[in-house]
Amino acid sequence: MKTYRIFLTVLLLLAPIVVRAATIEMHVKGLVCAFCAQGIEKKLRKFPATVDVVVSLEQRLVAVALKDGQDIPDDELRKALTNAGYTVTTIQRSDTPIAIIRSRFGQTKP
Amino acid sequence: MTRRSETLIAGALVLLAPALAFTKPIAFADGTTVMLEYGAGTMTEAQIFYAPQYNYSVGGGHVEFDSAESTETVRVTYARLNYLLHRWNLESAQANAFVWGGAGGSTGNTFSARQFTVNAGAQADYETRLIYASMKTDLQKASAFSIRVDTLQLGVAPYKHDSNQLATWFVVQARNYTGGIQNGVEWAALLRLFKGGAWIEAGVTNTHKLQAMAMFNF
Repeated sequence: MKTYRIFLTVLLLLAPIVVRAATIEMHVKGLVCAFCAQGIEKKLRKFPATVDVVVSLEQRLVAVALKDGQDIPDDELRKALTNAGYTVTTIQRSDTPIAIIRSRFGQTKP
Repeated sequence: MTRRSETLIAGALVLLAPALAFTKPIAFADGTTVMLEYGAGTMTEAQIFYAPQYNYSVGGGHVEFDSAESTETVRVTYARLNYLLHRWNLESAQANAFVWGGAGGSTGNTFSARQFTVNAGAQADYETRLIYASMKTDLQKASAFSIRVDTLQLGVAPYKHDSNQLATWFVVQARNYTGGIQNGVEWAALLRLFKGGAWIEAGVTNTHKLQAMAMFNF
């Protein structure tokens, strides 16, 4: 019983880490050229929580990899993209590693 | 320029006007844009702009006009503000309209004293990943001269590029000069390539002269 409680406690302690979002994926309107991607990347990389940024013109998606245990609030993301001149339609978080997303976009790390 | 050519250009501009945009002098917020253009020996221009925000940029440029019809030359150095009037972020396209204004000084071989010169213009673009259209008008005006350059570009991409790939465009350009710089519409067939922050465009005009442009964003 004691072992079970310890196991449960450890699980509860680890839970926030396990379900923590590794990446943020945003659907963005107006993404048509490499210059768009360049401006968006420059904006998003300024967040201290950002590890990496991937832009897919094909999928009209922008993905941000986050540092462990960190996040960027939705309103700050929307503000950053709006100030870069683009329109965010959806924001989703997942634990999918950025490498998988990059691969899904058919891109390799530069 | 013939009446027929004028009518064709005017018609194309009117048809494209409601849908156009994308601003070259304002690539992105906190970005610097450097543009260099060699316009078939008639116009050579260098510009540099910094955009504190996505909707405006400040900077300046130097443009030299060498008339194809006479020995007239005009050199203008100017400071300029570019302002994005509106951007349309569409699902698979982007369209913007912007204007600019500025002032500077000019010299030339048809007038003696340095002239105070006003610069004003507008540009509109529409771009998807497969088609591109832009029109631009740019006026340099002083008491001794008034030169306006109107440029229309239509482009087609042979494939859809992504953000990390080389973008390739085939572009047709029509340009008209006023102020005695060149008579008639100058046509050019151009190849445009860009990747990351570098853009180059080059081709030939209908008079077999080089038309080239380079742009760098950082």
